[in-house]
Amino acid sequence: MPDYKVTIFIAAILLSIGLLAGRLFGLQIIGRGDAQEVSRGNALRTLRLLPARGAIYDRHGVLMVHNEPSYAITLTPRYFVEDKTALLARHLGVEDSVVEAKLAEAREWTPYRPSISFTDVPFERYSRIQEDLFRLPGVDDEISQKRRYLSDARASHALGYISEITREELDIQEQPRFYTQGDLLGRTGVERSYETYLRGIPGSALRVVNVHGLEVKPYLDGKGDEAPVSGYDIHLAMDAGVQALAESLFVNKRGAAVALDVATGGVLVLHSAPDFDLGLFTGGINQPAWRAIVDHSDKLLYNRVSMNQMPPGSTWKPLMALMSLDAGLIAPTGPNSTVFCGGYHPLGGGHIFRCLGVHGSQDVVQALENSCNTFFFEMARRMDLGTFRRYANSFGFGQRAPSDIREQTTGLIPDSAYFNDRYATWGMGTLMNLGVGQGDMGVTPLQLVRYIAAVANGGWLHEPRLVSFLANPATGDTIHFAPEPVRIPVDTAYFSLVRQGLKRVMETGTGRAMQIPGIASGGKTGTAQAPMGMTDHSVFVMFAPYEEPRIAVAVQCENTGSSGMCAAPIASLLAERYLKGAVPESPSKSLRLGRAMMASSQALLTE
Amino acid sequence: MSTWVKNLDYWIILCWLCLAAIGLVAIYSATQGEAHQYLGGSMKNNFDRQLLWVGVAAVGMVIVCLIPVRPYMELAFVGYGVCILLLVAALMLGREVGGARSWVYIGSYGFQSSELAKVGTILAVARILSANKPHRTGNTSLIAVGLLSLPAVLIILQNDTGTALTFIGLIPVVLFCTGTSLWAVTLLLTPAIVGYLYIWYLPAAIGFAAALALALFFWYRDIILAGAGALVSGGTIATAYFAMEKLLQPHHVARIHAFANPEAEEFRSGVGFHLMQSKAAIGSGGLSGLGFMEGTQTQGAWIPEQSTDFIFSVIGEELGFLGAIGLLTCFALLLIRLVRFAGRITHPFASTVIACTAGLILLQVYINVGMVLGLLPVIGIPLPLVSYGGSAFLANSILLAIVLNLCMRRRELSLYA
Repeated sequence: MPDYKVTIFIAAILLSIGLLAGRLFGLQIIGRGDAQEVSRGNALRTLRLLPARGAIYDRHGVLMVHNEPSYAITLTPRYFVEDKTALLARHLGVEDSVVEAKLAEAREWTPYRPSISFTDVPFERYSRIQEDLFRLPGVDDEISQKRRYLSDARASHALGYISEITREELDIQEQPRFYTQGDLLGRTGVERSYETYLRGIPGSALRVVNVHGLEVKPYLDGKGDEAPVSGYDIHLAMDAGVQALAESLFVNKRGAAVALDVATGGVLVLHSAPDFDLGLFTGGINQPAWRAIVDHSDKLLYNRVSMNQMPPGSTWKPLMALMSLDAGLIAPTGPNSTVFCGGYHPLGGGHIFRCLGVHGSQDVVQALENSCNTFFFEMARRMDLGTFRRYANSFGFGQRAPSDIREQTTGLIPDSAYFNDRYATWGMGTLMNLGVGQGDMGVTPLQLVRYIAAVANGGWLHEPRLVSFLANPATGDTIHFAPEPVRIPVDTAYFSLVRQGLKRVMETGTGRAMQIPGIASGGKTGTAQAPMGMTDHSVFVMFAPYEEPRIAVAVQCENTGSSGMCAAPIASLLAERYLKGAVPESPSKSLRLGRAMMASSQALLTE
Repeated sequence: MSTWVKNLDYWIILCWLCLAAIGLVAIYSATQGEAHQYLGGSMKNNFDRQLLWVGVAAVGMVIVCLIPVRPYMELAFVGYGVCILLLVAALMLGREVGGARSWVYIGSYGFQSSELAKVGTILAVARILSANKPHRTGNTSLIAVGLLSLPAVLIILQNDTGTALTFIGLIPVVLFCTGTSLWAVTLLLTPAIVGYLYIWYLPAAIGFAAALALALFFWYRDIILAGAGALVSGGTIATAYFAMEKLLQPHHVARIHAFANPEAEEFRSGVGFHLMQSKAAIGSGGLSGLGFMEGTQTQGAWIPEQSTDFIFSVIGEELGFLGAIGLLTCFALLLIRLVRFAGRITHPFASTVIACTAGLILLQVYINVGMVLGLLPVIGIPLPLVSYGGSAFLANSILLAIVLNLCMRRRELSLYA
C-alpha cells in the first residue's frame, strides 16, 4: 500500500474516532445535566424511612403503647403493569377491583413514588408477595409499624386512636409536606395532642432501581441517606393500674371517672364508659367495626370525662360554701353563723325547696356534712347571679380547661342573658336551684375534679394534664410540662373549713360507708336530676388523704340512681388503689365493690 | 525462531490485552453486580465464560503464530469454502439466537458462523488479490467483491444485518487497498455518507454533495468525474427524498428518524428505549464516571444488551469520559499500528490481510460506538474484543494473531511472493 494511502487510512481512522470522541464529549461533559436527570428519574428512587412513633408510658414507667412491625404493600403506578392486577389480588386475597381502586388512589396521589396501598397484610401473604416481587413491577414491600397496646388499661379516650390520613388532609397539610398516602395520624387523646412530637422526623434513602422497578442496592452505598429521627416517648401522669381498675368497675354503666394528682394536676385516671378497643384501629380499622363504634347508641368515641355536661348536684355545695364564706353571705355573725333547716326552705311554702331531712341549726360544716339543701338554698337566695358566675368561673367552670385534653366542652354556668333568653319569667327560685347544683347548669367530670383538687390543695387551680413529660429515646432530650397553677382568690382558711365539712361527709355523713380503711378523706355525694323521668345520675367527688391530699377523684354515673350506690364506691376504690397501690381485702372493699358492680345505667331511650 | 520472536509486535499485543481487560471489567460490572439476579439464565455467567474465551483465544493466538504463513495463503480458499458451508449449514440447521440464525453447534458447543466467516473471507480476499499475475486486472477486484458479497448475502439471510454490513463495508476498504483509484472508492462511499447526512440534516447532505463535486473537480481537473460525483450524491439525495416522502409508510420514516431523536414520546418505550437509556447512562458518567459497580443505569439493568452490544454505555457510565476516551485511544493506537504495517509490508497478501483487519475493526468500532452514542441507528453488532461474545472475540483475536504472525515473519514473505 503506498504511503499516501496509509496517510488517508490513518486520517480516516482519526476522523472516525475523533467524531466518536466529540460526540462523547457532547454527551458526557456538555449534556451531563440532562442525562443525569433522565438517569435519576428512572434508575433512582427516594425511599422515606419511617421513624418509630413515640411509645407511651404510664407514671411508673409501665409501657402502655409501642409499635410492632406491620407489613405493608406499596404500589408505584408508573411501574405497575396492569395485567398483573389479578396476580396481586390473588396474593392479597382481595378482589381485582380492590387492587384497581388502590392503584387509582395511588396514581391520584403520585404516580412516581410508592404509596402504601395495603396495610397490615398478614405475614404469610406478605412473604408470598415478597417472593413474587420480580413478577410484580411497581409493587414493593414495606415494613411499617402499627400501634401495639400492652397494658391492662385500655385508656381509649386518654390515648386516642390513630387512623389513615385522608385525601383532603394530605392536600391541606402544612408545608413542607410531612405526610404521604397511607400515613397514620393521631385522631384523639394524646395521639392527637402530641402528634407532632410522636411522629418524629422521617429519613430518606436513595435506592438504585432496576428496569423491572425493583430496588437493587443503596445509591452510593447510602452516603447521601438520612436516618430517621424517632419521635418523643410520652410519659403520662396516668397510673395504669388505677386506670385499669376504673375500667373494670364501669360494667353496664355509662359515665366517667377522672382523677388528678392534687399537687400537679396530672391526670391519674381518665375513663369514659363505655369505651372502645384501640386495637381495632391498628393498621386501619375495617368499615363494619368503625360503623359499630360510630353508630353505637352509647356514643363510644365521646369522651364523657371532658364533654359530658350535667348538673353537679350536691357536689356543687363545697363551691357554694366557699363562695358564701368568701363573699360574706353567711354574715352577719360570721362564718359560724347558722341557718335553720326545718326540712325545707320557707320560700315557696315548703313544697318546692325541700331538704333531705330536718337538720335544725346548721353551720357551714354541718350543712356540708348533712348535705343540707335548706342551708344552700338560703345561700343562693342571698347571692346574685354575677357573683355566682364569678366564683364558678374562678374554679374553672363554664370554660374549657387549659389542658392537653383537646376534646372538651365548656359546660354551662348561666347568666341573666341566658335565663332571659330561655324563660319568660325567672326569679329567685331559679337561682336557689343553682345553689344545690340543679337546674340550668352543666359541668363536666373534668371540671369537677379540677375544682375538688383545688379545694384539696387550698386553692390552686391546676391545668389537668395527661402528659407529664416527653423524652426522646434517640437524643435523650426531654420536655417537661409543669404549668403554673392559678390561685383562686379565696382565703385558705375557708378551704380548710370546707375540707372539714367534706371529711365529716366521709366519717359520719352520706359518704361514711365509702371510707378508705385507714385513710381519712374528704368527699361529697351528688345526685343530678335527669330529664324526662329517667333515673338520676350519680355523682361523687373526693380527695384523699385528708391531710396532705394526693389524689382528687370525680365520678359520674349516668342514670344509676343515688350517689352512694355507684359513683362513691368507684371513686373510693380508685383513691384507695392509688394511695395503697392495691385494694386489700376488707369488708369495706366487698361492700364498695359489690355496690359498684351492681349498679347499672338505665338504658337510654331510643326512638 | 529467535528472529521472528524478536519481530513480535508488542504494541498489538498490549492493545489486545487492554481491550480484553476493559471488556472483562465492564462485563463484570454489568452482570456480576446487582443486576445479576435479574438476568436471564445464561447471561448470569457471561463474565466467567468471557474469561474462559480470553484464555482460549490466547492459546489460539499462540498456535496461530507458531504456524508459518504459507499454509494460510495456500489454504485460504479451502477455509473460505468451509466458512461458506458453515454459513449455509447454520442457515439450514442452526438454532435461532437473538433473532439471528447464525449459530452452528457441534454437540453442545456453539459458535457463530458469521464471525468465523470474517477470518475466512479476509484470508480468501487477500489470497485472490495476491495472485501472482504481472498485471492484475479489474477482474480480481471484482472477484474480491464477490468473495465479500457472498457471505454478506448469506448473513443477511440469517437475519443478522449488522454483521453483513461489516462485510459490505469491507468492499471499499479492499478496493482502496488494491490500487483501485481513489475517486472510485470515494464514489462508492458517497451514497452511504450522503444518505446518513440526509437523515440528520438535509442541508448537510446537499453541502457534502457540492463539496464532493468541487473537490473532485479541483483535484483531478476532470469535469466528468466531478459530474459523476454530483450525480451520485444528488441521486442519493433524490432517492432518499423520494423514499422518505413517497415510498415509505410514515411509521417506517419515524423508525429511521428514531435514532436521531429517541426521546420523542412515540419512540421512548420502543425503538428509542435502548438509545435513551444508553445515552442517559453515558451522559450521567460525566468526566470521571460514577465508579466501578456504581452506575445506576448499569446496576439497574436499564440498558438492554448491556454486556454485549451496549457494553460501551457501561464503560461510559462507570468509567466516565476519561475511561471511554481511553478505550477509543486504545482502538486508535491499534488501528494506526496495523495500518502502518499494511503500508510497510509490500507483500500483497500480508498487506491486504492487515488492511482488511484494520478496516473490519474500525467499521465495527464506529458502527457499535456510533449506535450507542446515538449517531447511528441501532444496528446489533458487538464492540470488537470488548463486548461479551466468544465467537466474535475469538475471530477478532485470531485475525490479530494472523496479523502478528505476518508482521513477525515479514522477511519470509518474499519467499512466497
